[in-house]
Amino acid sequence: MGDLLYHFTEWLRTTQLVELTLWLSDTSASLWLQTHFWAIPILQCIHILSIAAAFGSILMVSLRLFSLAGTERTMAETERRYIRWIWWSLVMLVVSGSLLVLSEPIRDLINPVFWCKMVGVVLAILASLWFHGRVMRRLAAGGQAGPVIKTGAVLIIVLWCLIMLGGRWIAYAPV
Amino acid sequence: MYPTPTNIWERIEFSSLGTTIAESTWMFPTLETLHVIALVSVLGTIFVVDLRMLGWTSNKFAVSAVAKDTLPWTWGAFVLAALTGTLLFVSKASSYVGNPYFLWKMGMLTLAGLNMKYFHFMTWRTVEHWDRDASMPVAVKVAAALSIVFWLAVVFFGRAIGFTLGIFGS
Repeated sequence: MGDLLYHFTEWLRTTQLVELTLWLSDTSASLWLQTHFWAIPILQCIHILSIAAAFGSILMVSLRLFSLAGTERTMAETERRYIRWIWWSLVMLVVSGSLLVLSEPIRDLINPVFWCKMVGVVLAILASLWFHGRVMRRLAAGGQAGPVIKTGAVLIIVLWCLIMLGGRWIAYAPV
Repeated sequence: MYPTPTNIWERIEFSSLGTTIAESTWMFPTLETLHVIALVSVLGTIFVVDLRMLGWTSNKFAVSAVAKDTLPWTWGAFVLAALTGTLLFVSKASSYVGNPYFLWKMGMLTLAGLNMKYFHFMTWRTVEHWDRDASMPVAVKVAAALSIVFWLAVVFFGRAIGFTLGIFGS
């Protein structure tokens, strides 16, 4: 695994990402973030709080799906309670995450773990669009949650844990 | 290999548990990852109750019902956060106790706990009078606001530790 990531990094170093990161690090916005000590910790706090809102909301919707919490509400009521929090947290995550990339372009963009995390993020967004679109419409219309939907709900939680794993390990990538 | 401990923190840090975690390449980041997953679960579920107590969300539902839905998960996640946090602490005990942000974080955790205890033993006594109300008594709103403030502070100081370990102490 370490070897694979190492080769991934070597390959990233041959791409045009290198020029992009160098250009990004020289922009005035990036320089401002780099020279203000508390900028990155505060952005990371916003990022963590957004994950808390998104993950907490997704957890509560999934628990309701398995009748493990919130059983006095209908599935549609539960969805209405949390869906805006899920999408707005995702917006906050993308914004704070983009600013974090801007503040440390090389650490993130020339980093295999970062790109693994991005694949996870894209998958999570696609899965959430499916879950909160088609699945929820069916459940709101009185449909039952079958094994596919239930497995999907568990996989979304697992995917978010993997995204958090990636987020933490960006700092420990073998580069 | 390790110097003789001169105080309790070094004794903890140089214990076989502490040195095993500190010497491993993967244990510390893995514990951090579990700590993050646990703490976002704690915050995400606690804020659901706090927002209900402020009268901002879920107002159709009783406070006690919202609390019953979330608290088992909050506690489960808190146990995981405390466990992984303790193991992280053991591996760098003397650096952490010398770090003001770590001490502030522990202070904020204590205040969050005291706020919860006070709410549970005092304010909660009259819960049947306001459980289903959309607008909450002042004492309930204050408890919810303090909870949010203390937990935000816990996150901030926790993150600050990671940026200042090299500045304070060894």
